[in-house]
Amino acid sequence: MPKVRFEKLGVVHEGEVRENSNLVVRAGIRQFPYPHLRYGCGMGKCSKCASRVIEGGEHLPAPNWKERKILGANLERGYRLLCQLWIHQDIALCQDSDEVWAATIKPPEESAQLP
Amino acid sequence: MAELMNRDEFRTALENAIQGKSANKSPFSIAWASGKLARAHLARWAENHYHYVGPFADYLAYIYGRTPDTMTEAKDFLLANMYEEEIGGDRHTDLLIRFGEACGTTRARIENPDNMSATTRGLQSWCYAVAMREDPVVAVAGLVVGLESQVPSIYRKQTPTLRDKYRFTDEEVEFFDLHIVSDEIHGERGYQIVLEHATTVELQQKCLRICEVGAQMRLLYTTALYRDYVERDLPLADLGLEREAVAA
Repeated sequence: MPKVRFEKLGVVHEGEVRENSNLVVRAGIRQFPYPHLRYGCGMGKCSKCASRVIEGGEHLPAPNWKERKILGANLERGYRLLCQLWIHQDIALCQDSDEVWAATIKPPEESAQLP
Repeated sequence: MAELMNRDEFRTALENAIQGKSANKSPFSIAWASGKLARAHLARWAENHYHYVGPFADYLAYIYGRTPDTMTEAKDFLLANMYEEEIGGDRHTDLLIRFGEACGTTRARIENPDNMSATTRGLQSWCYAVAMREDPVVAVAGLVVGLESQVPSIYRKQTPTLRDKYRFTDEEVEFFDLHIVSDEIHGERGYQIVLEHATTVELQQKCLRICEVGAQMRLLYTTALYRDYVERDLPLADLGLEREAVAA
């Protein structure tokens, strides 16, 4: 089973997941990396689940059209949308704080929708 | 005589109950996956599908209201599913309408209930009846596990075809992309509710039975789509199917 290392706010959380797991699907049913993983729409749009791949990125497929559209230049910095990824191999990830995400990745329309 | 199953046994039994009548085997799904449908056929599909999936949050709301407040996590899961269907990102039915428009129909035609077939009306009515009348756990088994959890496997097969054979753009087929992820979350939440709360032999057997019936209803729906809109243009023989096999 793939091992997942998930870093958030300087704390490392580790767990094992079944092969072909989607971490947003797992968080949606309150399994690791819940409650640490921030996510939102589950449809590659809000970017809340964006995380930087620290290790294991070579096992991931190329970014799909949604990741290219939402992440843009952040792809070059190693970011991926976890809602769009199914995990087959060990991986290490780091998710930014809400403040850093809002300043660097959050799409403009997402800001406009918030009350 | 049936015995109480543990979680793993029960999950496998649920998956088998759905698999037996998977809508993947319907002539409409086979024609779709092999790239043989015209855009006009897909437009008719959108006009029908809207009335089946459009009220999904309504179905869940009936179940939610009848779920005891002691089942807090189950209620939270249902509420999350409702929220994500409607306002978590883009409204899912708006994406379905976008696809329908790319197929040549209009929002007005899709939203008009007069444009759904009698079978689709029957499927919608069955969904409402299950949501309003069955034990909430059984209703979740029927609608979320039996119907919604099938969607990722169907769309995973159909989405590449929509791009590669039908030449739709990424934006036009976003409805299908999002369902591979979101319905996986929703279906999995359904499994968690059913596995946690179907704790008697009787409830487990009712859940299995309604999964079978739900899968039959979906197969009925997609088979009727083929007969109502496609068969005259694309006979079963052109799909390598025989009438007896479809009737079964």
